[in-house]
Amino acid sequence: MTEPRAGAIHDLGYRRYEGARMGRRHAIVSLYVHGLRSAFGLGRRTRSKIFPVGLIIFAIFPAFIQVAFGALTSEDLEVFRAEDYYGYISLALAVFTAVAAPELLGRDQRHQLLPLYFSRAFSRHDYALARLAAMVTALFALTLLPQALLFVGNALVVDDFGGYFRDEWRQVGPILASGLLVSAFFAAIGMTMAAAVQRPMYAIISILGLFVVLSLALGPLLVNFVDNLAGRLGIFLSPFGVVDGFTRWFFGAGLDDDPLAATAEFAGGAYFLWALALTALGGAFVVWRYRRKSL
Amino acid sequence: MPLIETDGLTKRYPGVTALDALDVTVEPGVVGLVGANGAGKSTLIKILLGLLPATAGRARVLDRDVAAEGPAIRQFTGYMPEHDCLPPDLSATEFVAHLARVSGLPRAAARERTAETLRHVGLFEERYREMGGYSTGMKQRVKLAQALVHDPRLIFLDEPTNGLDPAGREEMLDLVRRTGREFGIAILMASHLLGEIERVCDSLVVIDGGRLVRAGAIAEFTTGLGSLEVEVDGDAAALAERLRGLGFEARGEGDIARVALNGAEPYDAIRDGVVALDMGLVRLEQRRQSLEDLFRADADAAEGEAATA
Repeated sequence: MTEPRAGAIHDLGYRRYEGARMGRRHAIVSLYVHGLRSAFGLGRRTRSKIFPVGLIIFAIFPAFIQVAFGALTSEDLEVFRAEDYYGYISLALAVFTAVAAPELLGRDQRHQLLPLYFSRAFSRHDYALARLAAMVTALFALTLLPQALLFVGNALVVDDFGGYFRDEWRQVGPILASGLLVSAFFAAIGMTMAAAVQRPMYAIISILGLFVVLSLALGPLLVNFVDNLAGRLGIFLSPFGVVDGFTRWFFGAGLDDDPLAATAEFAGGAYFLWALALTALGGAFVVWRYRRKSL
Repeated sequence: MPLIETDGLTKRYPGVTALDALDVTVEPGVVGLVGANGAGKSTLIKILLGLLPATAGRARVLDRDVAAEGPAIRQFTGYMPEHDCLPPDLSATEFVAHLARVSGLPRAAARERTAETLRHVGLFEERYREMGGYSTGMKQRVKLAQALVHDPRLIFLDEPTNGLDPAGREEMLDLVRRTGREFGIAILMASHLLGEIERVCDSLVVIDGGRLVRAGAIAEFTTGLGSLEVEVDGDAAALAERLRGLGFEARGEGDIARVALNGAEPYDAIRDGVVALDMGLVRLEQRRQSLEDLFRADADAAEGEAATA
């Protein structure tokens, strides 16, 4: 029945696919990997790679300086410690989220790809979770890369590698735990904005506004209101303030170096619980939004 | 095993009932889904794919319940939507391969099937170029390819010839027909153009206002439904009235009367009638019944009923 048509000599006829169909799990993993690549601009035009690469360089720069400084002077001076790192890298994470989250969600929206995805071997919440997981992983990689560089670099710079490792290995747990929560926190909030705001440009502006402008504006503002509870609670509205609070708590460091956190006088655990709650809420919103979305 | 089975399938939006307790059974083959715009064609397809939840009723596709086993069904179904859905900055190869993996195909198989499927729909060197520069015809081909790449048992095509010029329309219909006949893939093709359905499909489901009007093989719709066109140089309506009086089914307008054949033998009656009414017989022609005629007759009948009521 598959006789070649006239003029189509090279038509070998349709062949059925007899190979494996890996089902839902494979489909979800494929979407996750695709999302992770997209977050870094892989498989996209060169233009899409500029921001991710720039931010990676920005993120590892202090770690690089620290290690280089240690190597050149052989002095035991610490420019950056692991727990101070988030104060700096939060900005990179915020900008990365602002660029990547609308890329992960808004793009499928803009090109009307959702009906194609939702008519494939997974369900709507699988889609939302795969996209969220890709965003968390991308941020985690961006967070961990400088930390790993800092840790390994410092270990190599000191003469006694084993000794450094024995002294500092306790840092590994907090580095991983804080990195994971920071990534999930930024991802949940960023993806919430990207899911709620359809136009990519507006989504980018909203995310940057929420993370950067709010954080930077609240600091100087709140210092004037530290004498009442409402003013002190305001720190929970500052994403960077919250990140700073719980990451220092993870590393067992005090909040005294941070003028705002010090005057607000909340325990580190409060920031942790608040971040956890916001992350869960944001993730739940994204899943809910995609379950309800009409096509 | 029926391909698709619905039981009291209902979809209500605020203020609108898109599907109204639809009961239909579709057997394997190339099936046309016909209805005017807004008849509920797209809604039905979306519910069968699990893209929309039904308000009430049940539906089974490939013998599985759509509400409970969506992902399992969708491993074996493809969907070509009506709207544009191609990111302009990707090549057809990248796009189709990605969707093949998301359909559950391993990476290597996805790549191989992508090349094969794009060749089948007639995209060759162009498949490495960004899709933003494609013509409408090429875009429609990619849309069909992504629905076929995982070798589904059933594909849903929503107005596949939308936006195509006559030549492109021809090619797309030919492709759809080959997909059904040669590839052995069952097809449910929605269209508001009966002519297209008639050329491609072997059976037909007609819906209107979310209800089933008729379902069956195309042949059932057209056999025994021929009509005779009678052109006279007098008042055809008077002739038609006379024929109706003799028990024939006839309508007349201007100088043309149409007489249903349905196994009837109206020839002598027409000759006698023309003589009795003292008019000249210009032309007597047996018309091949097409689906278009059938529905025009239905619509006329409905209008007639409305007028008398």
